[in-house]
Amino acid sequence: MRDINLLEITDLSARVAGKDSTPGKDILRGVNLTVKAGEVHAIMGPNGSGKSTLAQVLAGREDYEVTGGSVTFDGRELFALRAEERARAGLFLGFQYPVEIPGVNNVYLLKAALNAKRKAAGEPEVDAYEFLTLIRQKMKFMQMSESFLTRGVNEGFSGGEKKRNEVLQMLVLEPRLAILDETDSGLDIDALKVVSKGVNSLRDPKRAVVLVTHYQRLLDYVTPDYVHVLSAGRIVKSGDKSLAQELERRGYDWVVESRVA
Amino acid sequence: MSSAAHAVRSVISPALRSFEQQFQARPRDSLSGLRDLAMQRFMALGLPSNHDESWRYTNLRSLNGIHFTAAPQHERSELEPFASVSLLDGAQRAATISMVNGYPWLHSVDSVINEIEVSGLKEIARLEPGRLARFFAAPSDADNRRWALLNTALFADGLYLKITKKVATPLVILHVGIGSDTDTVSYPRVIIEAAPGSSATIIEHHVAQGERAVVVNSTTQIALGRGAQLEHYRVFATGPDATHFDFLDLRQEHDSRCKQFTIALGGGMVRADMDVRLNEPGASLESQALLVGYENRHVDCVNTVTHAARDTTSKQTARAIASDTSRVVINSKVVVEAGAVHSESQQSCRGLLLSQAAEIDSRPQLEIHTDEVKCAHGATTGRLDPDMLFYLLSRGLDRNTAQSLLVFAFLADVLTGMSVASARASIENALIGQMPDSQLLRNFR
Repeated sequence: MRDINLLEITDLSARVAGKDSTPGKDILRGVNLTVKAGEVHAIMGPNGSGKSTLAQVLAGREDYEVTGGSVTFDGRELFALRAEERARAGLFLGFQYPVEIPGVNNVYLLKAALNAKRKAAGEPEVDAYEFLTLIRQKMKFMQMSESFLTRGVNEGFSGGEKKRNEVLQMLVLEPRLAILDETDSGLDIDALKVVSKGVNSLRDPKRAVVLVTHYQRLLDYVTPDYVHVLSAGRIVKSGDKSLAQELERRGYDWVVESRVA
Repeated sequence: MSSAAHAVRSVISPALRSFEQQFQARPRDSLSGLRDLAMQRFMALGLPSNHDESWRYTNLRSLNGIHFTAAPQHERSELEPFASVSLLDGAQRAATISMVNGYPWLHSVDSVINEIEVSGLKEIARLEPGRLARFFAAPSDADNRRWALLNTALFADGLYLKITKKVATPLVILHVGIGSDTDTVSYPRVIIEAAPGSSATIIEHHVAQGERAVVVNSTTQIALGRGAQLEHYRVFATGPDATHFDFLDLRQEHDSRCKQFTIALGGGMVRADMDVRLNEPGASLESQALLVGYENRHVDCVNTVTHAARDTTSKQTARAIASDTSRVVINSKVVVEAGAVHSESQQSCRGLLLSQAAEIDSRPQLEIHTDEVKCAHGATTGRLDPDMLFYLLSRGLDRNTAQSLLVFAFLADVLTGMSVASARASIENALIGQMPDSQLLRNFR
């Protein structure tokens, strides 16, 4: 399994979608990255380097315009798929800022998401009782209270609860590739441990995880196979987990500067 | 009818002339003095036009050329059963009174609910006109009451309800409009008096039967005594050919509480007025409107809430949705009179536009004549939130489903406030029926 290229990004460029005839700002300027099944990659980098843009472009956000390069996901041309088709094919984006949707029940959304995926795979809808059992089990694992069952999507959740909810969704949907965009930001140490436990439980030879993170802290709990530094829209350095520790000690400047020099 | 009105308008439109003919054909009754006054004022003022402040967004010119006749009374035997249109399913215990073209069917309701006294207005006007006096004060020239003036002049019968105790079972007034080959107008009139300390839930549900277009000019007056509580619904669910003018007049005494829902789901043109006076300290109003425009429908909702005493509170929530080429108007005005200190009012109008050609006009207004009040108002109109949409798509939902869900979620505030579960379910169902992917949404709820 380890040899399958689950995600292959080749020379990817993207910009903020332009308004009227004004072109938007270039953000990604030639990203290359290959993620194989079974691997965990961390993408780090200073603010404004394009980390979140990369995550959103991969998930299919229309606010960005792909201006060059290609991406394959599990052997398929990613940009030929709409956002919802990518999700059904097993790509999951954990949002940096999960949106609150009052009036749409949290659990019903999860059920609809799971059924959309099953339908795309030619499987029958999930049985209501089985689904509830599954949800309760995953919620317990993520140390979430029963009240999450009845609330609107992220409605009135604290920052930490929202992130737990993202990981809960990931655990229920069991994606082939999870891209977690700063899932660790704004978490206290206990919440960080729970979220990390969730991510680790998904590690599997068939799946891969891409962690987009600003700090090394998450990587103490989820050990990455590879660490990449994104700067000014390019991956400027790659290494193993020791790179993250070095970044924690020395900051980003030395990587960025050595590149310029 | 005196000729005074003619002097004011040298040429009167076929519509006005036809209303005058209806008036002349009416038998005199104990309310005739007042009806004369109302008719005179109506003829002098004419149909509202876009020059009238509250009618800026609703153009009635096309009505001027129509010769209207009064909608006839129907006997029960001529009619199909109405169960299919009922808002309440079998599981919800409720009593129903039908009013067809404004005429109440009273024979089957004598003792449906013991705590509510149910009478015909015609009968009350004949036997105990004194009881109606407070509901028929001097006619007003206010432009939002124009159709109510005509209703006062022309209603033939109606419903008088007196709530005497606490009533748990909801009462449904099913207003059925039946069109005919000619252009008819019906004049449903309902008067509800809630005794001090009483409580009830009353649902006025307007539907049309048959293929013919109907014009409805309805007026409901509600007076809540000290400490009385009422949950009142008016649901407009007529067809695309229906034209509906509805006026709701609400007077509240000491510590009375009213929760009012206005739901516009249908009708080609619906104009829903509400005029509330919080007359005594402690009176509170919570009004929620859910206005849905689609196809080329037109919905115009005009609320005026007057705080006429200290320590009164009002909270108004309106949610409007417009798709296709429809137009929805929300005019909501709060007046705090001098002396109404420590009053609190909140107004929230939100509109959701679902097509380029649709229009929502939202105007919250505040008029404050005293200090020491807390008043807040806000109005926003926009399109579906792209962040919410992307979130749902990123979880694998179809675009249509995601959009419908968000539309539905937009209305949730109003829906969740309804305490009659089965009315809420029916209204949800009616809403869902208008959306793409309705079956999937049904499963989702």
